[in-house]
Amino acid sequence: MKTVVFSSWNGKVVDSRKATVRKKAQEELPLVKLEGASYSALMGWNGIVVNDLEADIFSLTRAYLREARKLSCGECSVCMIGIDLVLDIMERMARGEKIDDIEAIQKVVKGVPQTAKCNFGRNVLVPVGDAITYFKAEFQSIAQGKKQAKEDDYRVFVSAPCMEACPAHLDVPGYIELIKNHRFADSLDLIREKCILPGVIGRACTHPCEEACIRNNLEGPVAIRLLKRAVADYDLQTETKELPRPREEKKERIAVVGAGPAGLAAAYHLRLMGYQVTVFEALPKAGGMAAVGIPDYRLPKNILQHEVDVIERQGVEIKFNTKVEKLDVKQLEKEGFSAVFVAVGAHNGTKIGCEGEDASPYVVQGVDFLRRINLGEKVEPLEKVTIIGGGNVALDCARSCIRLGFKKVEIVYRRSRKEMPGNKEEIEEAIHEGVKITYLAAPVKIVRKGEKVTAIECVKMKLGEPDESGRRRPIAIAGSNFKIKTDMVIAATGQKPDLSFLGEKGKSSLSTGAGTIAIEETTLQTPVARIFAGGDCVSGPATLIEALDMGNRAAKAIDAYLRGQKVDVGPRLSALELSAQREATGAIRMEALRPRLLPVDERVKNYEEVEQGFTAEEAVKEAARCLRCYRIVVWK
Amino acid sequence: MVEITIDGKKVQAREGESVLEVSRRLKKDIPSLCYHEEVSPFGACRLCMVEVKEGGKWQLVTSCQQVVEKGMEVRTDSDAIREGRRLAAELLYYKYPNVPAVREIAQKLGVAVKDEAIEANECILCGLCVRACREVVGAEALTFMDRGLGRENAEPEIGFNPDKCIGCGSCAYICPTGFVQMEAVDGKRIIWDKVFHMAKCKICNRYFAPIEQLEFISRKTGVPVERLMVCTSCR
Repeated sequence: MKTVVFSSWNGKVVDSRKATVRKKAQEELPLVKLEGASYSALMGWNGIVVNDLEADIFSLTRAYLREARKLSCGECSVCMIGIDLVLDIMERMARGEKIDDIEAIQKVVKGVPQTAKCNFGRNVLVPVGDAITYFKAEFQSIAQGKKQAKEDDYRVFVSAPCMEACPAHLDVPGYIELIKNHRFADSLDLIREKCILPGVIGRACTHPCEEACIRNNLEGPVAIRLLKRAVADYDLQTETKELPRPREEKKERIAVVGAGPAGLAAAYHLRLMGYQVTVFEALPKAGGMAAVGIPDYRLPKNILQHEVDVIERQGVEIKFNTKVEKLDVKQLEKEGFSAVFVAVGAHNGTKIGCEGEDASPYVVQGVDFLRRINLGEKVEPLEKVTIIGGGNVALDCARSCIRLGFKKVEIVYRRSRKEMPGNKEEIEEAIHEGVKITYLAAPVKIVRKGEKVTAIECVKMKLGEPDESGRRRPIAIAGSNFKIKTDMVIAATGQKPDLSFLGEKGKSSLSTGAGTIAIEETTLQTPVARIFAGGDCVSGPATLIEALDMGNRAAKAIDAYLRGQKVDVGPRLSALELSAQREATGAIRMEALRPRLLPVDERVKNYEEVEQGFTAEEAVKEAARCLRCYRIVVWK
Repeated sequence: MVEITIDGKKVQAREGESVLEVSRRLKKDIPSLCYHEEVSPFGACRLCMVEVKEGGKWQLVTSCQQVVEKGMEVRTDSDAIREGRRLAAELLYYKYPNVPAVREIAQKLGVAVKDEAIEANECILCGLCVRACREVVGAEALTFMDRGLGRENAEPEIGFNPDKCIGCGSCAYICPTGFVQMEAVDGKRIIWDKVFHMAKCKICNRYFAPIEQLEFISRKTGVPVERLMVCTSCR
């Protein structure tokens, strides 16, 4: 591990270039780490880090500026021209034109952060200022012709706080900028590169991007999720943009088991690469949890249908009502498949683990309940239903029960509201719609009368030390038992994948201790050759966007495997803290647009979509709030 | 009405007005290149900088985009403002040294402007044509093509869609540098390299508007094209 020779990262300057004994300042510095490799010098939006005294800082700065100009959008004079001016001066210095315009560079580097339009422009020239300040001698040597400027190869990394928070690493500032400039079709193209279900994600995503949005420090985050929805809605309401066709046809056939988000994403990308793709789906509909988990008032059927149709029209074959009863690689090879991607999701509800839980029409699993409603089954409402659990499945069940006409709907959750894993908006709307939530209680016994249920006995809980999930462990308070009168109990405490189709031998070689499928992280390969896996069946119940990301990566990994090549993962920089910046955002205050929600009394009578999306004009207006917080890092 | 303070004086501003609009109403001298009262602000030239007090500190903002808020404190002149405006002017002059509109503003803001070589009509990416075409005309033939991650264009540019252009010339009219040129030759109009056939007025027999423009107006208003074939002088 090379010792840091100079760092200005995050504004803290450590300069040990002249020290005879290198300062071992490793622990104090917010070091930028390059996984699996070391670097001699690095320049990023937040400063310079140098590990090697011989590093050519002039070349590094020039390489950084060449990359920076690619991201300088052109909508403001100072950033676009400022970068070009500094680069021009440096290129002429390097050509031996003996100009010493260091002052001109300093003026630009000082003034652009004050006057640029976006967060990128305000921060991009900061490290160039560091270079001029702390490595001035090097610049002067080159200007005076005493030293040659080398041309060299540098690696580059571009991200943004929102991009990094997104499990699919979608170019968020990019698609938002296209909306701002009324280029909805182009925005859709960009979104589809990483997210093939924008209408679904635009409604049901947990939006970690919005939590990371720098605009949280001002009026509130940019409505990134709703902007994606606006693009998808626009496509649905106007002329649908078909998916790009593969440029060449490959003869290899790939089998995908499960047409949920992971399966659909993999199928689309593999098809785009030219492979012949067949998806086997057990249910009559595609979409996985998006189809049979999320109720219509959150995700109307036609939205998902449109996005699946578009994938089928692109050439992906989906065989519905076709459950793969037994995964037999040899059989699949005989049928001509070169590889299999298993993406069966996690559709088996886990038991609560209390007495009286044996199956009956009145003691059901949340995921089964939702699936039945989503597939059109009629459910007779009862007087009272109690739902055990605090995640989105529990909330979806509760809000569905309200609409089905259950007179009283109560959620019982063992921790407090703060720890509830369900979406915050879902919890709020459930309460608005009349769902009662009882915190810090857990069931011990379901009181049965034959098939029927009369009550559920619970015990009060208190919160102790954090467990593996990081949340405080619930501990039963002895003797605090109480009964809740109820006619039905819905268990929504967790889901597991159904791995029975792997067979006993398959299960032992493919599954982890937790009942999920084991894979290698970068190749998504299971321990069995030609079998790849991704989505909830690998991670356990997670989010839609994480499943989409695994599908995207699976396609790349399968392609690499079939061509006998290594998966290109790209540079991994860590300890970066993308939200840190040295210049103020300087944003014009703009009111945040919030989505309109149907009034509660209108909602609960039916499954009409509760949240109304933005119109195209509203989306353009909201998109203008994006600060374009692109971060570049260049290194050697 | 919204009360704000500009340069120490309390002023009544209209709801939704920009600081630039209020300031110019008060006859304050705020330079700009990419602003026009008929279209939305864009903040491209960075010349209209003023300072607004935010959290006790003066912050530079583009006055064209900053909407007035009750109690806002603004100043339109200070060292920081002059430096900011001058930097923007210098950079614009650096890139477009022979564009008259740029030379004029640069000189005014204290940039040392040399004698021009040959007058140039370059595009300074102010975006006025895009906004006029979209917001005033509604044809949507022009788009601001930003540079960005994975984008095809290595330089930012104005994108032109000939299928949507009706040849009205609003872009040429609003362009501050003369980059958008409109040629009239032989009953034809040429703009953005697209050739339009001009319609003749039924009464005076002079060419007065592109046929496509009249068809566009007809589609928008429902008035049949035949009724539009009279020039404004003869109406």
